[in-house]
Amino acid sequence: MRERLSFYIQRHSPIHRLNPFTKLTLAFALVLISFFSPWYWTALCLILLVIFPLAIIGRVGREFFAAALRLLVPVTGFIFLMQSLFLPGGETVLFRFWFLRVTLESVARAFLISMRIFGMVSSFILFLLTTHPSELMTDLTRRGLPGTVAYVIISTLQILPQMQAKAQTIIAAQRSRGLAVEGSFIRRVRALVPLVGPLVFGSLVEVEERAIAIEARAFSATGPKTSYREIDDTPFDRTVRWLMVALVVLSLAARFFG
Amino acid sequence: MVIVDLQHVTYRYPMTEQSALEDVSLHIEEGEFVAVIGPNGAGKSTLCYTVAGFIPHFFKGELEGTVEVAGVESRQASLEQRVRSVGLVFQNPFNQISGAKYTVFEEIAFGLENLGVSRAEMPARVEQVMALTGITDLAERSPYALSGGQQQRVALASILVMEPKVLVLDEPTSQLDPVGTREVFGVIRNMALRGMTVLMVEHKLEWVAAFADRVIALENGRILAEGTPAEVLTDERLLEHHFGFSRYTLAAREGRKEALWPPDRRLPVTLDEAETGFREGLRRP
Amino acid sequence: MKLLESIKKDFNTMTWVLIPVAIAINVVIGQIVVLLKLPVFLDSIGTMLVAVVCGPWAGALTGTLSNIIWGLAIDPSAFPWFPVALFIGFVTGWCAQGGLFRNTWKVAITGFIVALTAAAVSTPISVYLYGGITASGSSIITAYLLQTGRDLLTSVLSTNFLVEPVDKISTAFLAFAILRGLSARYLARFPRAGNATPEKDDRRALFIGVGIFVVLAILVANLINPAFLWIGLGVAVVVIGVGLLSSRIR
Ligand SMILES: Nc1ncnc2c1ncn2[C@@H]1O[C@H](COP(=O)(O)OP(=O)(O)O)[C@@H](O)[C@H]1O
Ligand SMILES: [Mg+2]
Repeated sequence: MRERLSFYIQRHSPIHRLNPFTKLTLAFALVLISFFSPWYWTALCLILLVIFPLAIIGRVGREFFAAALRLLVPVTGFIFLMQSLFLPGGETVLFRFWFLRVTLESVARAFLISMRIFGMVSSFILFLLTTHPSELMTDLTRRGLPGTVAYVIISTLQILPQMQAKAQTIIAAQRSRGLAVEGSFIRRVRALVPLVGPLVFGSLVEVEERAIAIEARAFSATGPKTSYREIDDTPFDRTVRWLMVALVVLSLAARFFG
Repeated sequence: MVIVDLQHVTYRYPMTEQSALEDVSLHIEEGEFVAVIGPNGAGKSTLCYTVAGFIPHFFKGELEGTVEVAGVESRQASLEQRVRSVGLVFQNPFNQISGAKYTVFEEIAFGLENLGVSRAEMPARVEQVMALTGITDLAERSPYALSGGQQQRVALASILVMEPKVLVLDEPTSQLDPVGTREVFGVIRNMALRGMTVLMVEHKLEWVAAFADRVIALENGRILAEGTPAEVLTDERLLEHHFGFSRYTLAAREGRKEALWPPDRRLPVTLDEAETGFREGLRRP
Repeated sequence: MKLLESIKKDFNTMTWVLIPVAIAINVVIGQIVVLLKLPVFLDSIGTMLVAVVCGPWAGALTGTLSNIIWGLAIDPSAFPWFPVALFIGFVTGWCAQGGLFRNTWKVAITGFIVALTAAAVSTPISVYLYGGITASGSSIITAYLLQTGRDLLTSVLSTNFLVEPVDKISTAFLAFAILRGLSARYLARFPRAGNATPEKDDRRALFIGVGIFVVLAILVANLINPAFLWIGLGVAVVVIGVGLLSSRIR
């Protein structure tokens, strides 16, 4: 039972070859631009003209759309519907229904917000699909992220699937002993303790040994550390990053002065 | 040359009343292979942590006496300095995976990165220990997707790559199946043959007899017996203190009652000794 | 510098190894709770554990990284909510530093303070990023409040004050139960183990319990009349204040 460690899909593509920090900058820039830009259609355009094509160029199109469908369509759909129905204000009444009064303005606003959310999350999905967490952390460490923080992130990503597998084993075992994970509210609350207890205590007890093990590997050595992996950073990467910064500043300027 | 030198070491863990080590003195020569045996709770792991510097640096508590490794006293050395000269491998292979790396190769290089070894130097050093521990073909695998024996050899390689002067092994095979045990002992034999100084805690007395230059029997934090494997592993006091004997020793001890074992012959600790002894015993009228 | 030293104190090797385990606990319990269809999140138990035994800075880092991991491995829409997790960790650690994680009623107060903080921090995120209506089920309450003519900010704030206390107090109790199950010897390895030293309960537990219950009731009444939001918060301040004073903690 091997579970996925992250979204990363190993492929050979120009996007995969970009420096991880460049891709991170790109993701943040897309989010900021879509929130800053005063032009109504910015978010939608970024999604259709930047994020989708990049997913195709990155050769992760299928995975991208699958993830978007699973994570984003229901959420943005819900947000769009709720906000169109319930956000007050607006003049142009589209229709009245029971106590609701749906206006063109609230629908337009709901659409804007859902598109921004969609853009935000999908640009991160794109980033995650094409970037190996270990490469990202190596590169960020070189740029000044403390090694200990990188350690925490990578080690969590590796522990998590193990814990999930253990949780599934415990759930199956407790079920076969007649523990009800369905049923009345009280019964479900009662089910929590026998499920969570073994999992939590088991993993906490291991902490001391693991601390000794990484200490034995000079984890808290105070001298400068080195890295076996080296991540490419090309002039093209730097150009893309500065371009992104410029675009964010531009969209900010457009918002305040435009 | 003496490389590990413990003088009258008494140690108490924080929040405990009883000493885990009581007046323990121990000298290990460079290149010597010393095995430690003893029942559960005897203080074997505590002794390992003391030599490796985790006592007092990690565990705190009260340490009396002196602990010198390569001429430096523990309280004067930082844990980092200790880790550079003493390598520690312990029971649970799974808990020794750092978690910081996705491949075995990088897992082994983790210690070198922390020590600031130059990037150019790493591949050769990692490949060398992988060859030594027989895990070259695992280089690109995830350290989590390995058998216990493989994981323990990765743990050994990860420590050996840092080139410690002394290797401390705390029951390195107690959680492994017979195949894994054999694999790991194969590596340990390699190290012994190359003249590595080793302190190993081990319950499997046949292996202790096969490797050790000297055996120390520990009980209740005190040294009960010390000497060559032949002396210590057949010492009747061990039976009184519930240590147990190896199956060869036990068989010969029983055989002696039935006159199958020559009465003037010392009890055996290895298969070879047992075989010679029984042959001789059976040839007698 | 004092601040820097206080930050440094939170982190030893045990902390760095505990944080990944704590984050995994957050995520896995969060998922089990979804499986059991319980009306709470309980996704910061690990964060609270770290905050208590390692300190507020370690707690804040655990919360933040927990959100990042959730985003990296499960759903990227978790990213923007990291300040909430950060404050949950920090405030829990801060309370625990003041001795507020040693017996049941103190833990209830901690949970309550954390809940109010979480409610306050998540409100601007939900208003400015999501236009007030997020994907969570509690948005139905916000939608209802909007229909009663309240403005967006008050509606979101009221909803959060309504939803958070139950979740955060339960979380605090579960973290407390776990700490009680761990030996003092084990806990001693962490930088601020003293924060988890148990204390006897007394009759104040009852008072605080009733107080929190009253506040919750007033906050529910806020669904009918917005004035109750401010009354509820006022009473909450009084309850917390009395709790703090009675335990002689500033
Ligand atoms: N972390 C600890 N804190 C307090 N006491 C400990 C700790 N670890 C071990 N001990 C105690 O020290 C004694 C020796 O333990 P240990 O060295 O682990 O024995 P062995 O490895 O021979 O089984 C035991 O009585 C044990 O309970
Ligand atoms: Mg032991």
